[in-house]
Amino acid sequence: MKDFLWLVRKTMKNTFGRRNSWLLYIGLPLAGVLLSMLFYSNMSSGSLKIGIVNQDGDQAITQDAIQFVGSLNQVKLTMTDEASLNDEITSGKLDSGIVLPKGFADSIREGKPLPVNIVSVKGAQVTAYVKSLLDNYIGNIASIGLGTKGDTQAFDQVYAAYKQPGFAFESETLKDTSNRKDMTYQSIGFLVSFMMFSAVGLTEIILKEKENRTFLRLLSSPISARAYVLSNVAVSFLVLLFQSFMTLVFMKYVFHIDSGIPFGEMYAVLALFSLAAISLALLIVSLAKNTNAAGALQNLIITPSCLLAGCFFPISIMPDTVKKISNFMPQHWLLDTIDKLQNGTAFGSLGINFFILLAFAAVFALIAIFRFSRNNDVRQFI
Amino acid sequence: MNALEIRGLTKKFGDFVAVDNMNLNVREGEIFGFLGANGAGKSTTINMISSLLRTTKGEIDLLGKNIAKNIKFAKMNIGIVPQDLAIYENMNAYENVSFFAGLYGLRGALLKERTEEALDFVGLGDKQKSFPKNFSGGMKRRLNIACAIAHRPKLIIMDEPTVGIDPQSRNYILQSVKKLNQMGSTIIYTSHYMEEVEEICTRIAIVDHGKIIAEGTKEQLKTIITDTKEIWVGVKAEGELPLDSLKQIQGVTSVRFEEGVIKIHSKTEVNNLNRIIQQLIRDQAEIRSVEEQAPNLETVFLTLTGRNLRD
Ligand SMILES: Nc1ncnc2c1ncn2[C@@H]1O[C@H](COP(=O)(O)OP(=O)(O)OP(=O)(O)O)[C@@H](O)[C@H]1O
Ligand SMILES: [Mg+2]
Repeated sequence: MKDFLWLVRKTMKNTFGRRNSWLLYIGLPLAGVLLSMLFYSNMSSGSLKIGIVNQDGDQAITQDAIQFVGSLNQVKLTMTDEASLNDEITSGKLDSGIVLPKGFADSIREGKPLPVNIVSVKGAQVTAYVKSLLDNYIGNIASIGLGTKGDTQAFDQVYAAYKQPGFAFESETLKDTSNRKDMTYQSIGFLVSFMMFSAVGLTEIILKEKENRTFLRLLSSPISARAYVLSNVAVSFLVLLFQSFMTLVFMKYVFHIDSGIPFGEMYAVLALFSLAAISLALLIVSLAKNTNAAGALQNLIITPSCLLAGCFFPISIMPDTVKKISNFMPQHWLLDTIDKLQNGTAFGSLGINFFILLAFAAVFALIAIFRFSRNNDVRQFI
Repeated sequence: MNALEIRGLTKKFGDFVAVDNMNLNVREGEIFGFLGANGAGKSTTINMISSLLRTTKGEIDLLGKNIAKNIKFAKMNIGIVPQDLAIYENMNAYENVSFFAGLYGLRGALLKERTEEALDFVGLGDKQKSFPKNFSGGMKRRLNIACAIAHRPKLIIMDEPTVGIDPQSRNYILQSVKKLNQMGSTIIYTSHYMEEVEEICTRIAIVDHGKIIAEGTKEQLKTIITDTKEIWVGVKAEGELPLDSLKQIQGVTSVRFEEGVIKIHSKTEVNNLNRIIQQLIRDQAEIRSVEEQAPNLETVFLTLTGRNLRD
């Protein structure tokens, strides 16, 4: 144990004795957060652009529903038609579209409202929010229809009363949660790739020690190879924990990005992911003969897998095959966990996600250990 | 007691036998020379002694204890100076020595004392805070040694500690080896330089193709080859020398030309000096001196292995 700490201390000192390391391990993830903020800041300033396709004409109830949506804070309405709606959404002119079907007003009068279709590119949270408010609004009026049982006059009376100011909704402020969530997603996506690169960078120290033969000297001392590798893993774990801690702290307290997940839960998930990242790094190092090879492997594995797992772009815009492939990447399971937490799944019921992350860590580590133990080639480090 | 006892030691890499059924005893207090051409198996043997390589067969005892069964004891009592530098470029001299000494459990005041002692010992006492990248080749070699001795091992193994350094550093190292030995350490010393081994070693083993082919003090080794003599003929080096025709003479085993001297190995029992000189005169070489050399280690090595110590 004393020897273990001695090794950890040395590696930490050697690593953080250089200013470059601080930049690499702490500076870059923070830059990633900043970058994500820039990506999404044009959206945060304001409005959600919603296109309305009205197939129900001039009915008062329909017009009122449109007005209701328009009255929501931060929503900018555009009237459009069904044909151009999709183009406008994909080209980014609109964030989402609402289609009010023919017979909409009548169906409400009868108390059986027709479903309102909401279209958007990303299943953005804001859209869901608008939909739930609109559904709520329609539900209220439809219940008038149910109550008055087809009596048009009675309905109009109650409806008129309902529209009186005291009775009406206060205009709800749209909490800009989607935006925050996108920023969180992107920041974590960047953080994940930096964590993986950092893990390889730190684990690569093993190869460097082989190359400058200090590994040989270490092994001729009472230190066992296992203790040495373990000390390296411990250093990587400490650095990754520190890295994610700093990133989360900056996100929350400096950039004020509210992830919607309690700090502790978010941190725990990232800590779990660190293990998978370190195991993968060990695997890469065990497969590589020298640092050059490790660098090549790292580029071959980490960047593409981060891309496929959705660290840089939301996975929802990817084709189905990519979505399936991403199931084989630990990053995907981290992002999936965070997504689920943001959407209200309880921490305790995400056992399967945690298990998968742990399984990745275990499998990578086992293969790495197998590779290390079979490597009896001293020449490699003489 | 023997500091080191090797019995039937064998190491195979695939089908290649690098160390072949080696038997060797090194007594406590010796400076033991390990001589062998490139690829003879010296480093492989040393790596097995220091538990870096598994043995294929055979046993190694350190101070009477089997090292495979007493690995911690073995490692605590061995200090290895690797053939290639094994130091941290990004740590200063003091940090290097103190880190490695710390691996042997030294801490605090004792660690500091031993670290400084080791650095002083190799003459780097005033360079504690300097980084290896600013060191000359010789200074790096000396730091490489300091890292191996701070924990005061009973057996110090030096694998070519003097390659590629200036004569001054080399002298310093040779003196240090003697001093370490006087202070009680047994030393195994590997080198390609015969004169180093002759100067400091009490006993010598000659290794070839993974086998010990001769062992003893230098005097003993020299008597092995009573059947070979070496004749040096100084000539004025001009034009073609008749080396090939000399080789035809009865009894001559090898002929080479170095720095104005034709060096001829010949069987002792054949008296062929006359014929050699006649041949040289016939080839119109201008003879300046003729002497018969007392056998030296270089000759011993050459006759035993058929190879030069250095290529
Ligand atoms: N891991 C290995 N795999 C295969 N062959 C090896 C390995 N290590 C050493 N050898 C071979 O074993 C032989 C002995 O090598 P060794 O390094 O012990 O020689 P040496 O006497 O130290 O030579 P030198 O004077 O060049 O240092 C060489 O032929 C070498 O190529
Ligand atoms: Mg060698």
